[in-house]
Amino acid sequence: MWLSFFTPDLFASAIRMATPLALAAIGGTICERSGVVNIALEGMMLVGAFFGVVVTLATNNVLLGVGAAIVAGVLLSAIHAFASVTLRMDQVVSGTALNILALGLTGFLMEVIYGHPGATNGIQHIIGPVFNFPTGGTGVLATIWTWIDQIVFSYTPIVYLAIIIAIVAQWAMFHTRWGLRLRALGEHPRAADTVGIRVQAGRYSAVLISGALAGLAGANLTLEQVGVYSDNMTSGRGFIALAANIFGRWTPAGSYLASLLFGFAEALEIRMQSFQSVIHVPVQFFLALPYVLVVIVLAGFMGRAVGPAAVGKPYEKE
Amino acid sequence: MSETHEASVVRENLWMKALRTAGVPLLSVVLAMIIGSIIIKASGMDPLLAWGALLKGAFGSPDKWAAGNFREFGDTIGRATPLAFAGLALAFGFRANLFNIGANGQLLLGSITAAWLGLVLAGLPGVLSIPMILIGSALAGAAWAFIPAILKAKVGAHEVITTMMFSWIGLYLTSWIIAAPLKDAAGNSQTPMLAQSVWLPTFDKILPGLFRTPVNAHLGFVIAVVLAVVVWWVLKRTTLGYGVRAVGFNQWAAQNGGISIAKTTVYALCISGALAGLAGASEVLGTNHRMFDEVSAGSGFGFTGIAVALLAKSHPVAVVFSALLFGALSAGAGMMQLTANVSDRIIMIVQALIIFFVGAETVITWFIKRRQKRALEEKGATDVA
Amino acid sequence: MPILELRDITKIFPGVRANDGVSLRLERGEIVALLGENGAGKSTLMNVVYGLMAPDGGEVFVDGAQVHIKTPRDAIALGIGMVHQHFMLVQTLTVTENIILGHEPSRFGVIDLVSARSKVSDLSTRYGLKVDPDERVADLSVGMQQRVEILKALFQGARILILDEPTAVLTPQEVRELFGVVRSLVAEGLSVVLITHKLDEVMGVADRVVVMRDGRVVGETTPAETDQVGLARMMVGRDVVLSVDKAPSKPGETVLEVRDLAVLDDRRLEALRCISLVVRAGEVVGIAGVDGNGQRELVEAIVGLRKPTSGSISLRGKDITHAAPHATIHAGVSHVPEDRQRRGLVLEFDLAENLVLGDQSDAPYASAGIMHGRVIDETARERIADYDVRTPSIRVLAGNLSGGNQQKLVLAREMGRDPDLLVAAQPTRGLDVGAIEFVHRRILAERDSGKAILLVSMELDEIMSLSDRILVMYEGRVAAELSSEEADAERIGYFMTGGSNKDGAPLQKPATTVAEGGAS
Repeated sequence: MWLSFFTPDLFASAIRMATPLALAAIGGTICERSGVVNIALEGMMLVGAFFGVVVTLATNNVLLGVGAAIVAGVLLSAIHAFASVTLRMDQVVSGTALNILALGLTGFLMEVIYGHPGATNGIQHIIGPVFNFPTGGTGVLATIWTWIDQIVFSYTPIVYLAIIIAIVAQWAMFHTRWGLRLRALGEHPRAADTVGIRVQAGRYSAVLISGALAGLAGANLTLEQVGVYSDNMTSGRGFIALAANIFGRWTPAGSYLASLLFGFAEALEIRMQSFQSVIHVPVQFFLALPYVLVVIVLAGFMGRAVGPAAVGKPYEKE
Repeated sequence: MSETHEASVVRENLWMKALRTAGVPLLSVVLAMIIGSIIIKASGMDPLLAWGALLKGAFGSPDKWAAGNFREFGDTIGRATPLAFAGLALAFGFRANLFNIGANGQLLLGSITAAWLGLVLAGLPGVLSIPMILIGSALAGAAWAFIPAILKAKVGAHEVITTMMFSWIGLYLTSWIIAAPLKDAAGNSQTPMLAQSVWLPTFDKILPGLFRTPVNAHLGFVIAVVLAVVVWWVLKRTTLGYGVRAVGFNQWAAQNGGISIAKTTVYALCISGALAGLAGASEVLGTNHRMFDEVSAGSGFGFTGIAVALLAKSHPVAVVFSALLFGALSAGAGMMQLTANVSDRIIMIVQALIIFFVGAETVITWFIKRRQKRALEEKGATDVA
Repeated sequence: MPILELRDITKIFPGVRANDGVSLRLERGEIVALLGENGAGKSTLMNVVYGLMAPDGGEVFVDGAQVHIKTPRDAIALGIGMVHQHFMLVQTLTVTENIILGHEPSRFGVIDLVSARSKVSDLSTRYGLKVDPDERVADLSVGMQQRVEILKALFQGARILILDEPTAVLTPQEVRELFGVVRSLVAEGLSVVLITHKLDEVMGVADRVVVMRDGRVVGETTPAETDQVGLARMMVGRDVVLSVDKAPSKPGETVLEVRDLAVLDDRRLEALRCISLVVRAGEVVGIAGVDGNGQRELVEAIVGLRKPTSGSISLRGKDITHAAPHATIHAGVSHVPEDRQRRGLVLEFDLAENLVLGDQSDAPYASAGIMHGRVIDETARERIADYDVRTPSIRVLAGNLSGGNQQKLVLAREMGRDPDLLVAAQPTRGLDVGAIEFVHRRILAERDSGKAILLVSMELDEIMSLSDRILVMYEGRVAAELSSEEADAERIGYFMTGGSNKDGAPLQKPATTVAEGGAS
């Protein structure tokens, strides 16, 4: 029984489940490093997921769908940037409004476009895996190959893209001009200002990048995983991503690894559901597992986590 | 000169205060509805028809009122009741600088407690059982807020994440309770119907002379109004309220003044949770008389409570009026959908826009503070900056 | 041709003309001191020059050509560098990262750290500003951080260097070192504007002095033409008594006794190492020291904001080592915190609410958890009158008062409580001369009425003029105890930088024996 529980697919599933979390978490990291809190990651994922499906259905081109998801995330994040950077509004309030707006707008447009509430129509083909190597056969070698194939070569493009983004963002944050200035913005925006760095522009770009990444995360959910948009389908992933960012100590690589942990909890939850006849635990308990894990991680870890000093504080010039 | 100037400072403050407390929120609502109209129009539907239907659905019509039929009013008040409790919950948190974004979880725990105690205490007379159930639900809500509160106080885990996680955990926990231990024999996804002895009486039962036909408005609304005044009094006149406000404004100064940040945080978030728990209880005892599984629901009263509190600028008494507004929007949404074929989701969009405009008002507040400061400076109370 | 010239600069804040037609000339290779008390408009003027504030009128010329400086970037491009009073350093970044920030040597956006580091070391050796380029700024002393700031300006190619109150946080010895650096910079062809309110610095280093008061230039002179008394008269606009008159102290019984106290700082490093001291009734004990040598932690431990790891604190014989702030307040400790806006006041509360902070749950202001508004308001009116807080009403929010009035409000509350011990940290920071005099008079009045007073200040003059005994702190220990008669700036400064007693003043006692000596 345990052999059929811990299959290579379980670990592959963990990486798949981690992908939307990681993309949003890296977005959250970049955003918070610039000094802006983004609790609207949830809403940005939602509009990304929704418009990815809408445009794919309308154009029959899944690439355009991915592009639309990114654009939708960026547009929503532009509102957040305007509110928190230009209007100097409370960033958590702005984020809350955007989360509700995203939920309302997707639900509203769903009925306008498809005439029924609850879910959109499904897309014909979800994006398939990048590689397609033959597997099968018996023997140790075949088993090893199955594991490698499942864990390394079984993924859709955005899953690989997320890993590349994590590595590139990690490197860029600590080796490039962009990264140095970003880190300065969230720690001491006035110091950045006095050496001629444009604080507002820097924060705008960081918020927009986080919107693009959250939109891409939404595209991964609908266009690569599910194939249909259903109401409020992110189920708090935006908030889990924020926790992953904290657990990852405000670094892109850390965010990815923390997302992997939460992704594994999700994969475990799904796997356990199929073993319900054996384990005899109500399904709701599995469903709650990732959320419980987040709380435990935060409880055990928070005391030592220190975020950017100026995060959440609007910058005023004079 | 100084006396007239002082008078003008005070007068200006009153005028500004009035504008600030009512003007900006009202303006926000109007702006939000205008943008909502644009969205409705752009979707090929008729905004005037939609809002007309909404008004009718929320308030009824004069001919009905003449006959003593206040069903629509009753719906509005009925919808406003849990929103008022939830709004008070969020507002109390906001005053301590805590964002109880997961109030919906505490609300669900309050609901399930009411659904359970309502069954257990069915044999008692209502005057005994109803207060016991309300207290039980408040305690359940407080308990659900307790762990996030402790985590905030002890390790600084942000309540926006932890209460949100607890909201999801609460959703699945209550879903399981409804599906298994408290399952209704007759159907799925709901608890058994409660005995009439624990129902909160509706207005037509309380004031049969005025309400000649049945309405959904129930005693819970009266309790919410009384509670709003109590919360206001606690914040304004007690040492607990003083501590909550001090910590909310400037925790470092509060700590220096002998107020424990950790204790105040725990009290404030638990009181917020208790108020959210009451929202759930009033919905179970007053409206549904049982609890439904809400796993499929996209949002809940707890989330709308955020908008209610923000629109009321966290003033407990203003929360009641803010709740009535959102109650009306919610009560009229059904009629709007029927008559104008506009999705009730437009209400959510309007709600988000209202939060946005009220939030953006910080800019206006800042401007007003500057004016007050300038008035003081002219009086010579301020040195050269 | 002057390298920098300002003509008729005007800057208006709501209700205040911070700069009113200010003109200033800086020649190549010159050190001009811009002298004035807090609030005279010196920093505002230089923030205008540096592009941080837009002027409402006036013209700026660099090398004789009119320029329009809208952002710091413009200023830097023109060769203007500024070292701000509050350092503009990112604590989490390294020295090199801070210096290159905004002007990073890079290829295709990738920072060339090797060339950056070598440029930094070149500058560092050339000007004698030794720093470790790879150390995190958070781990540097204040003096070192200032070096990083100067290096940053030089790295950006500054020809004009503006130093805003550069000595506020330094020891007398460090001040001398800094002025040595400034002279060598001038020798290399730089021109310097030194913003200060300290007269001796002006006399010591400046070629020319421009004095500002109330947003205007009220005079210009050279150190050779005037003396400190003349400068003070120009600066304040009237004759100033440079020292405070006070009667000799009559110390009574021991009020505060700190014994072998050890405390950790926010980074969990040892901030206090077995420190012992006593404060008796009717005396002012002054704590001198460079910022960051444990003074803050000492104050926080006494008032209950920080938990000691070992040792004891007692007040009139009652143990308050582990007491929380509400318990220390009850025991008779009042606290004027160093940052009145952060620790001292709730700016969104009105004056009455602020005046009850600390006593909010005690009779007569509250009973059984319910507050008594009328008593609170009556007391507030009395205290506001007593301490001359200028306000139209007790309903005004504290945030709308000026700095001086805010400080009076804090004093009114803390002294109005009639404590046994007053712990006052930086009680005159950022105040003008009038307000400083008021605060000093009140502190001495409290001493004469028999209160024990522990005064912590960065201002050596303040420590020397108010204290009956002076303790110098260095690295979490009492490096020396001096009586007010034997203390002078040189001697205190010597101990502030860790001077040992061997070649120092003969009069200090070892820290561990202070408690016994004082208690007897």
